[in-house]
Amino acid sequence: MIFLFIGLPLLAAAVLPLVGKISKKFLPDLISNAVFLFLLIVAATSGRQMISHGPVLKQLNWFGEPINIHVAVDGFSLFMLMAISLVTLCVGLFSINYMDHYGAKANYYALLLMMMVGMNGLVLVTDLFGVYLFLEVAAIASYALVAYGLEHDELEASFKYLMLSVIASAAILLSIAVIFGITGSLGFAAVAEGLKSLDDKFVVGFCAALFIMGFGLKAALVPFHAWLPDAHPSAPAPISAILSGLLIKVSGVYALVRIFFTVFGLTPALSQVLMYLGAVSIVVAAFLALGQKDMKRMLAYSSISQVGYVVLGIGIGTPLGIAGGLFHLFNHALAKALLFLNSGSIQQSTGTRNLDEMGGLAKRMPLTAATNLVGSLSISGVPPLSGFWSKLIIIIALVQSNEWFLAVVAVLASVLTLWYYLLIQRKAFFGKLNERWKDVKEAPFWMSASTIILALLSIGIGLFFSIVIKSWIQPASDVLAKGIQLVLGSRGF
Amino acid sequence: MIWQILLLSGLVLFSVLAILSKDLIKSAISLAVASLLLGIIFFRMSAPYAGVFEISVVAGLITVLFMLTIALTKAEGDVRESRVVKLAFPLFFVIFILIDVLVMKSLLQKIPALPETVEKGTFGDVLWKQRTFDLVGQLAVILAGVFSVLALFRKRDKDE
Amino acid sequence: MAFAAGLLFVGLYCLLTMKNVIKLFIGIEVISKGVTLALLATGFVKKNTLLAQSLVITFIVVEVSLVATALAIIINIYKHTKSLDIRKLTKLRG
Repeated sequence: MIFLFIGLPLLAAAVLPLVGKISKKFLPDLISNAVFLFLLIVAATSGRQMISHGPVLKQLNWFGEPINIHVAVDGFSLFMLMAISLVTLCVGLFSINYMDHYGAKANYYALLLMMMVGMNGLVLVTDLFGVYLFLEVAAIASYALVAYGLEHDELEASFKYLMLSVIASAAILLSIAVIFGITGSLGFAAVAEGLKSLDDKFVVGFCAALFIMGFGLKAALVPFHAWLPDAHPSAPAPISAILSGLLIKVSGVYALVRIFFTVFGLTPALSQVLMYLGAVSIVVAAFLALGQKDMKRMLAYSSISQVGYVVLGIGIGTPLGIAGGLFHLFNHALAKALLFLNSGSIQQSTGTRNLDEMGGLAKRMPLTAATNLVGSLSISGVPPLSGFWSKLIIIIALVQSNEWFLAVVAVLASVLTLWYYLLIQRKAFFGKLNERWKDVKEAPFWMSASTIILALLSIGIGLFFSIVIKSWIQPASDVLAKGIQLVLGSRGF
Repeated sequence: MIWQILLLSGLVLFSVLAILSKDLIKSAISLAVASLLLGIIFFRMSAPYAGVFEISVVAGLITVLFMLTIALTKAEGDVRESRVVKLAFPLFFVIFILIDVLVMKSLLQKIPALPETVEKGTFGDVLWKQRTFDLVGQLAVILAGVFSVLALFRKRDKDE
Repeated sequence: MAFAAGLLFVGLYCLLTMKNVIKLFIGIEVISKGVTLALLATGFVKKNTLLAQSLVITFIVVEVSLVATALAIIINIYKHTKSLDIRKLTKLRG
């Protein structure tokens, strides 16, 4: 059953080119979005039952014979699966209208499905090399998707992204090789066992550093963030949404956290490193976001900043901090996807991303303006939207651990965030209606529908946040907290 | 042992050549030769399958792809590489090797290792039974690559 | 293992300094070789060559996919700018 998460998109992707020959637009739309919806329902409903008795390890059977495919689901994985399915569904819905003028829709959906295969696979594997493998699957799909429009900007951005990403992958693989060398195994549990009984700080530290470099590059933490402000704006809007909302988090933050927490263990030194990396990302990116004229570039810098919050929260190491970080991951995925999709709507209607050229669009595109407002407020941490609660939890956790300096930094950066988002809102939507946009129309149905779904979710989660935390976030942070206790105490980092 | 070092040095040498030579085709061929050497090294490390794969895929397929690209992108006016860069390279390389050797010497004494587990089964067993999931991943990767290339080479419609 | 590191260095150096787009790609290939060597070397040390081999093979498959995609992008860049100079690709800034 769990294997469906990987198998179904794979199958659909393989079939799509053939389907695309028959029906250029309708069938690919239908099939892909049906797959996304189906997986979302599975994640939301049966997933909870599966993990209620602890982590599940499943071995597949092929006509009665057990084959050696292990997939593991625990609270953390399930949480990510939920997020992945949700955002991918909305992106899929959005693409129904948006990708019309890019052509070759079947191929686009195939790549999108492959990216989902990669992300789902990454979340479900049980050994280090599997993480690397599915990371590459999603990455290769993303290189092509960023360059999808085949314009100069997109190709340039995609190429630079590719270069940096390959270096990151090489670093990760090198680290895996060294760990394989010193422990002789690749599975998570086995490596954790092996590392516990060894006592070599230098080599393990070397591997940890390589991992931070590699995954930090994928997650676009400062100082590894250089590729993101070029890649995310140039990609087609739904791709920017899925990159910012999911890929940097799944392949960057999730992988980093999974490997460190359940294999290495969160030592105090590591915790400090993660926290400061996060804090630096928050501040630097927030400042860089202020000077941007291109709407999507501003959103891209904001992504770097918010991922910093997530890493900061998780780096604290206390259950509250982890919960806050994960919650923020989820909220940011929703809200950032929403904002990027909106930028796509604007780009489709007005043909520009330059904030100075826009103005007063709220009168002609009320739905887009409203959903954009919801997304902006959520990310900036304004109550009662979901982002407020996640940021609050992170700040409380910081205060609880006596990290006053970082708490202040987090709060101030939040104010900065609010400022530049209101700047976007004002420049693009409010104010006088620019003459050029007199006849602009509201975004087509599916585009609006997907953004409305995301906006409603942001509001809903904000209002009902305690329920959400108890049912989704808590199991995830429990897994991580337990992991810390299991592995910690063996080394004096 | 001496052979091994010779082969490894050859590998590095040809890689350097691949990067430093002005002519793209010479670069591609150097890369192919380097792959060949790497394959032989693999054979001597009792990893025949990897060696075969490396030679046939990297020295073969990838080189073909490179040649194809080079043929399709004959630029007017070659890209000028700076001379300084080429001259500075040996210097940096030597410095790096010195540091590397020093570090490795001290490191190799300290690398702990768990006792090796006995290897059971043949290669086929390992690939198909132990790492079946990797095969799914391989399939996914191949599909992703295929779709990427298809997407990047598609014909543009008239209204684009 | 030292040689693997040496290879990696060469590849990285290339990436940092070369201006021709295809040369950059050769740099990536060199890095891949270094990683392959490192993978196999650790397997060899542990006498676990079979597992290491399957890892290497899987990695080579990934590498092929990567090369194909990257070369496709490069060819498209060439179609746009008629040159392979990375210095031409500096439109995006900030």
